[in-house]
Amino acid sequence: MSNEAEQDWKDIIHRCFRCGYCKFTYDYNDFNCPSYKKYRFETYSTGGRLWLIYGIINGDLQWSENLANVLYACPTCGNCMENCRFDKFNFLLVDMIEAARAEAVKKGFCPEKQKALLARTKNPDMYNPYGEPNSDNEDLKKEYNLPDKAEWVYYIGCTSNYRQKNLRDATIRFLKKANIDFTLIDEHCCCSPIMRTGQISPVQDFMNYNIAQIINAGASKVITSCAGCYRTLKKDWLKFGAEYDFEVYHTIELVNKLLDEEKIKIKSEYNKTITYHDPCHLGRHMGVYDIPRDVIKRIPGVNFVEMERNRENAWCCGAGGGVKIGYPEWAVEISGERLEEAKETGATILSSVCPFCRTNLSDANDKYNMGFEVLDLIEILDQLEIEAME
Amino acid sequence: MSKIEVLSKLEDIVGKDFASNNREELFIYSQDPGVSHPRQVDYVVMPETVQEVQQIVRIANEKKIPIVPMGGGLTLSGLVIPVKGGIVLDTKRMDKIIEINETSRYALIEAGVTSGQLISHLREKYPDLQPPYPDAPPSVTLAGNALIHGSGYLSQKYGDHASMINGLEVVLPNGEVCKVGSCALSKYWFTRGPIPDLIGLFTSAFGTMGIVTKISIKLFPKPKLRNIVIGLIKNLDTIPGLVLNLTATDIPEDLMVALAEKPDFMKGYAILLLYITGDSQDELDSKTKILKKMYRKNKATFMKLPPRYYDIFLEQPQFAAKAADFRKGGGFEYVGSFLPLEKIPAAIEKARDISLKYGIVPTQVSRIIGRGHNVMFAASYSFNRADLDDMERARKALHETNEMVLELGGIPWKSELAGQKLIIEKMDPNYKILLRTIRKVLDPNGIMNPGNWEV
Repeated sequence: MSNEAEQDWKDIIHRCFRCGYCKFTYDYNDFNCPSYKKYRFETYSTGGRLWLIYGIINGDLQWSENLANVLYACPTCGNCMENCRFDKFNFLLVDMIEAARAEAVKKGFCPEKQKALLARTKNPDMYNPYGEPNSDNEDLKKEYNLPDKAEWVYYIGCTSNYRQKNLRDATIRFLKKANIDFTLIDEHCCCSPIMRTGQISPVQDFMNYNIAQIINAGASKVITSCAGCYRTLKKDWLKFGAEYDFEVYHTIELVNKLLDEEKIKIKSEYNKTITYHDPCHLGRHMGVYDIPRDVIKRIPGVNFVEMERNRENAWCCGAGGGVKIGYPEWAVEISGERLEEAKETGATILSSVCPFCRTNLSDANDKYNMGFEVLDLIEILDQLEIEAME
Repeated sequence: MSKIEVLSKLEDIVGKDFASNNREELFIYSQDPGVSHPRQVDYVVMPETVQEVQQIVRIANEKKIPIVPMGGGLTLSGLVIPVKGGIVLDTKRMDKIIEINETSRYALIEAGVTSGQLISHLREKYPDLQPPYPDAPPSVTLAGNALIHGSGYLSQKYGDHASMINGLEVVLPNGEVCKVGSCALSKYWFTRGPIPDLIGLFTSAFGTMGIVTKISIKLFPKPKLRNIVIGLIKNLDTIPGLVLNLTATDIPEDLMVALAEKPDFMKGYAILLLYITGDSQDELDSKTKILKKMYRKNKATFMKLPPRYYDIFLEQPQFAAKAADFRKGGGFEYVGSFLPLEKIPAAIEKARDISLKYGIVPTQVSRIIGRGHNVMFAASYSFNRADLDDMERARKALHETNEMVLELGGIPWKSELAGQKLIIEKMDPNYKILLRTIRKVLDPNGIMNPGNWEV
């Protein structure tokens, strides 16, 4: 860990020079910061935000509703971290924005729409940001005949459990087909949405609760089909002091591992042209780029094509960082740009491995009549004949 | 008219999303990454079309509101921070590449096109052409760079970037649009003359003469290969002779002499950074051979560095902004200056002394322009933005460097207000009268970036 990583972010933030690399793609051919591209005032670049935050810290600025709005109009996609040239602190840029959001919350400037995320998540009848009655997942366990204790826990995540049930069910069916010994828990939100929006007060309790549930299920491994949950469990919980010894996998990592170990075989063909959208939480935030591509390429019959902006250079779907709830129309606009790019590839299937990306890309697909099939990779695998080899 | 009414008029012109007097926009646009103190801004506006610029200028004129055009905002010397409040007109939504003329080799672009945008566009669509751009982040605008009399890539071979302007479209202070250069009468924006050359009115004027909305900038052939031949110079007095000999050949595309006393073993040495280009490796090898011989004859030593250094030196544009973190503080500013070649050794020594006096590691670069007809000498002072004393030290170092440059017969470049004052003090009185007269005619209400070039 570098010295900078150990320092308080407030002692580092003034080191941003506002040179503007953070706005671009890696080859400068376009702005790749969704927020700057939309708003265009320097204020809405990462550099602008850091200068505003530093202004608050040194007393030149006071908190205001508009200042909070500038801080929240950012999907925290991490393009800035990827393109900022100051490698002593570029990995902290999004953390600094999120920390400033937490300050905004403390000072009472959290935007109303974002507040709803916290209220719903904390509601003991819900424990999820969607405001749905909490599912303890017992019905699912019965439906799929799952044990109470198992080697793996499938941590479904709120978006899959309450908004993208097909993705959830496809994951469960895949795990069954692959003979994975798994179960479900009565999970509470992983807290990604409230962390991203600086509303961190309940995180510790939720995290401890979820960890206890996983341990009680006897699991040594956790699988999640959500890029946001994956990042949160594997990275953010540790920042909040979590101590656990289970392993965390994204579904696609498990699929790849099973294929590598020849424990499953894809028996049928998928004769379609697929492009892949990198979820920011899996890509730029966790560095997982090759695995989903490797899986796609191992599906017989697939014609895989890349979008111009891919991997570290990918254009965000626009859903993250509280943008989907705070700026719903803009979030869909951002996805609209992604779909235009996907159109250029000739693909008919736009795939990803994140229910949040899937939701937002689907919303844009509907709004702009783009005609794609927007599918999670696990939903594609669900359409195929999968044979377990043992 | 109240501020709310002015804002409302600006919103009517550009739309609500692109006019602001929110405290946050005013805060950000009231300062730049250099050491200038923040100054008041009243409105920020981002037009998309020349018609919108005209309407904004007309309102500013009618209400006598100062107006400051802004490109990338990275001059570092506070040129786009209003001196007397008013409107900052950020041009970055005017970002269309209108035409690339491959035969007459020019790019006609809007004022907000960034260097990154044009570099990338040419790489993809016109790989045999290259634009002139500065060693600055890709977010700078090409118009801004050329208009401040910038230099950078291709300057050794072809001159400073202001000399590469073929034509301009300008919104004059009265709101009328004027084209200067061949575009004043031809559909080809291919040359400045042969009519009275008015382009010079708008270069190094810092927006005091009008707002440039389009620019035609020369493009140049791009050889297939590029490399750097590095030399080490121990005796600074040999620099002018060495540069003269090197530029007498047709070999260097760009040529710089750099001085950075970190790491410690570099103390007392200057580094010669000479860029060569060619269409084959044989051509590069043969040029390198000639240069090595020339280095030896002129008491410089050819240096071979580990490959990672070549990657750093050959990156385009170079990551010059790294100086901002030398003191872990997010800031640097430099006195760039135009100096005669013969004064470079003295400037290096004197700027080094100034750096040491203020406890700043000496960091300088001399970029040869137009085969040595001019040298852009830059003495850079990094500072820690969180340390007000450190910033003040940098300010003093900059000021003393300005004085030093003027004493040597040079001219500070894109100078901040204090530097402009020093320049004006030395200016011929009739030059001042002429400048004042022209400004008064063009801008009787004094709305165009007032406070700058106050002759």
